Amino acid sequence: MTHTTFRRRALAAAGFALTALATQAADLTVSAATSLTNAFKELGPVFEAQNPGTSVVFNFGASDALLAQIAKGAPADVFASADQETMDRADMQKLLVPGSRRNFVANTLVMIVPADSTLGLKAPADLPKAEVKRLAVGNPASVPVGRYTRGSLETAKLWAAVEPKAVFAQNVRQALDYVARGEVEAGFVYATDAAIMKDKVKVVAIVPTGAAISYPIASVAGSPNPQAARKFLDFVLTPAAQAVLGRCGFAKP
Amino acid sequence: MNASVWITLALTLKVALWATAINLVLGVTVGWLLARRQFFGRDFVDAVLTLPLVLPPTVMGYYLLVVIGKRGWLGGWLQSSFGINLIFTWQGAVIAATIVAFPLILKSARTAFEAVDPQLEKAARVLGLNEWAVFFRITLPMARPGILAGVLLVFARSLGEFGATLMVAGSIPGRTQTLSIAVYEAVQAGQDDTANFLVVLTSITCIAVLLAAGRLAPSKRH
Amino acid sequence: MNFDVDIHKTVRSERRSFDLRVRFTTNARRTVIFGPSGAGKSLTLQALAGLLKPDTGSITFGGDVLFDAATGIDIPARRRGFGYLFQDYALFPKLNVRQNIAFGQSSGLRNPSATVEDAAVERWLRAFELVDVAQQRPEELSGGQRQRTALARALVHSPRALLLDEPFSALDPELRERMRSELDDLLQGIDIPVLMITHDPQDLEWFGDAALYLRDGQITEPPPAPSRAQPTRLRPA
Repeated sequence: MTHTTFRRRALAAAGFALTALATQAADLTVSAATSLTNAFKELGPVFEAQNPGTSVVFNFGASDALLAQIAKGAPADVFASADQETMDRADMQKLLVPGSRRNFVANTLVMIVPADSTLGLKAPADLPKAEVKRLAVGNPASVPVGRYTRGSLETAKLWAAVEPKAVFAQNVRQALDYVARGEVEAGFVYATDAAIMKDKVKVVAIVPTGAAISYPIASVAGSPNPQAARKFLDFVLTPAAQAVLGRCGFAKP
Repeated sequence: MNASVWITLALTLKVALWATAINLVLGVTVGWLLARRQFFGRDFVDAVLTLPLVLPPTVMGYYLLVVIGKRGWLGGWLQSSFGINLIFTWQGAVIAATIVAFPLILKSARTAFEAVDPQLEKAARVLGLNEWAVFFRITLPMARPGILAGVLLVFARSLGEFGATLMVAGSIPGRTQTLSIAVYEAVQAGQDDTANFLVVLTSITCIAVLLAAGRLAPSKRH
Repeated sequence: MNFDVDIHKTVRSERRSFDLRVRFTTNARRTVIFGPSGAGKSLTLQALAGLLKPDTGSITFGGDVLFDAATGIDIPARRRGFGYLFQDYALFPKLNVRQNIAFGQSSGLRNPSATVEDAAVERWLRAFELVDVAQQRPEELSGGQRQRTALARALVHSPRALLLDEPFSALDPELRERMRSELDDLLQGIDIPVLMITHDPQDLEWFGDAALYLRDGQITEPPPAPSRAQPTRLRPA
């Protein structure tokens, strides 16, 4: 082999390898509400198995924070929010692919206490009592679970008494953590979150929210991988995916 | 619920000033000990005390949470003996800021003390001064510029402390929500106007502090 | 008034350890401890002053026990009543001449003010012709003025002995001659014992009423050298 022939073949091989590498790493970026963490992490490999060549990258956070990122140009392909309001705002800011939005699961709001709590709290109505010094609530300004909580407590005319004792969490898992550590006497999270820490927290009441808590999911406009995004949206409504979500405590949409 | 911006600023300054004051005493004391006293394992102690500078603030915050939280060994003791709980309090924020910024003053103080000519301290001793007088009349004044530089660094660091503070003190408007945390939350909630205002306010505060400090410890011109 | 010294100190650094074993008694008005660099002269002087704590032994001056390892006596430097002249004078750089001399007059936590008024300080300023430079800082003084300031600072509390640490080693030869004669003049009027350490044989000639030779941490026999006036050689005790 002459020297130039060798060089040409080496370059071709390198180019082929790089292209192969590029097509392998077709990422699907999913920005999802914190409460979906465990369920989506289970669904990720299932989706990847059904769609070889696509690797799913998850970005979890409070829905409002995720929206703020997308609004500023974060390259998410899919957005799954914990409440309709945040998705409405995304829609208003023209961040979604028209027609892609759909509801895919439902959740319940629960009141939890530390597993070793001896205060005997049974319902939100117990919260104004003096023994309850602090409670964990998602920040209503930026976390859907906080808004659900505030809405429910306002309806029950308890918010004014409870708000001074509220410690605002950045997302629902942080609220869960505060209760699990015993730093607060009670907290509000989704039923799905309480289920994750069954040994550290106990659910004492299901909190009624005016409208049902249903999670919307949509494809983000102008995202890098719209085809994979559509596939993911269809995927979460398949029986197999819904079974996984059901196991984590989510209800049908 | 948003506490007024001025309350947030006042709280931020309160936490930063307390953290700086505590660090001044701690830093000068420990810095002097490390500079002037020989003991076994001195370098190891110095390295351990410098760790908070190297560890990510969230890691520090986690360690603090574990230690001074209700279930921690220190927090549990404080709770049962005095009914004191430091989590979600501005005092907790002060502790977080103090520990995270401590290495900055330690390094500055130790270096400043090591640079003081021991001959001058000896001269003072022979002239009749006890150790406290030697420290306050000779050692400390000569180490002052270095120590002040460290104080400035500590104040700036405390002013901007975020990660450890968020974990230990949480974000409670008016009580523990400092400027950095308020900026973070405003961005999270999509409140860009609020975020912009807070950012400008923080920047002006820092510039004002730097200018004021420049007057206290003027750098030599020639 | 005599010095009665018998001390042992091991000084350890990373690379080596140095053994100081010094034993002597001197009653002379002016004693010179002479030896090469590294012989342990400075260590000896600092031990006398209370700036260095020996491992074992005792130090007595004029009948007062200043240090005794056996009985645990260790009078701190501030109470030994000596005047000490450091090699580089160790003048306090941020204080003026007046403040330097007056420094030890107050043992509190505050330095004397820039315009401190003290009779003893004024007397020494006049005696050493420092009145004109009294408000100036050490960096603005000449070598001779600095030496006089350092000496005045040491003498203002009427010490019972004067310890001098190689007072001329930092100076160049011509200046050294002048300083020696100045110091000699200044010391003429002072009637307290003086103990000087040096590695310069000329100092030995000038100042020594009595001489001790120190080498490698121990008092030894003097090196053979012709000299105009041999000071009385003290036998190692």
